[in-house]
Amino acid sequence: MWLPVLSLIIGLFLGYISELRIPPEYSNYLSIAVLAALDTLFGGIRAQLQGTFEDKVFISGFFFNILLAAALAYLGVHLGIDLYLAAIFAFGVRLFNNIAVIRRLIISKWNDNRKKA
Amino acid sequence: MKMNRQYMLAFVALVLGMMLSVQFQTANNPIERDTRDIWELRADLEEEKKRQQMLNEEIRKNEDLLHQYSSKGQESANEAMEQALADLKKQAGLTEISGQGITITIEPFNEGLVGGDTPVPHLYPDMLRRLINELNRYDALEMSIDGQRVVSRTPIREVNGSIYVNNEPLSSFPIEINVLTDDSKKLHQKIIASPAIEDFIRENFYVEAAVSDQIMLPAYTEPLRVKYMKQVKEDS
Repeated sequence: MWLPVLSLIIGLFLGYISELRIPPEYSNYLSIAVLAALDTLFGGIRAQLQGTFEDKVFISGFFFNILLAAALAYLGVHLGIDLYLAAIFAFGVRLFNNIAVIRRLIISKWNDNRKKA
Repeated sequence: MKMNRQYMLAFVALVLGMMLSVQFQTANNPIERDTRDIWELRADLEEEKKRQQMLNEEIRKNEDLLHQYSSKGQESANEAMEQALADLKKQAGLTEISGQGITITIEPFNEGLVGGDTPVPHLYPDMLRRLINELNRYDALEMSIDGQRVVSRTPIREVNGSIYVNNEPLSSFPIEINVLTDDSKKLHQKIIASPAIEDFIRENFYVEAAVSDQIMLPAYTEPLRVKYMKQVKEDS
């Protein structure tokens, strides 16, 4: 468990010291990509807790979701429709769902442990 | 298998962390594009060079002062300190000062000349502020408005229809602005053609500027409130 947390911190640190900044017109894409990545990560945690985790699904979902979201946003910009809102909505709803399921799973696990003890 | 999964999660977390912090930085301090052309760059460079020179001079002056403080005896150190204090007071505008300069007189247009239906001219504090800024741009050294010395903290406000400078109401027209400068003729020519003066004319004021060899500016008499400076604690 500590390795992903550590690498998250390392990633934050790397991004911070690299002083990398993207032009404002592309910040929409990055924000969607971040959302997609968060969604994938929480989906992975949920699958892990439910015992249905599959490596290939996880890693392909990570990249595919990011690319799909960015492509949708790009298409939206060129069509003049705020299509990125669709991605934000979809990922947002899924994020909440995933977190709710994770919460339930953790609570039920905790309850089981207490009953055993 | 388990280890592999850990690495994968770690990789995803790493990418996520990087994206998060880049997005965070972009949102908080967006890139400001430098759109200056070569002439503006040259002008800015010139400006910076001047600033550097000024700072160097200031450093040298302060080093001299420090040297004076430390090298000689108590008597002369006191003398140097008093000298420095007097210099600072002069810089802050707390002393009377005289020299060559120009006198600007502002008064309403003579109503008899233009007919009775001209509106009564109204003086706005912004006009005075703009005039002061322009005078400063044309190398004015010190100035006073209607007998009130203009220092860095001088407020110019409009209260109930009358203009207050240094919290003192301006007397009735004509209003006299005295300006000290090194080259009074040049300042005179520049101020006659300045947009600030045109603003006064647009508001139906009659503005006259005259070069004068000897102008006396009064001292700033209000207490100077220092809000953001603190005494340096002595160490070493």
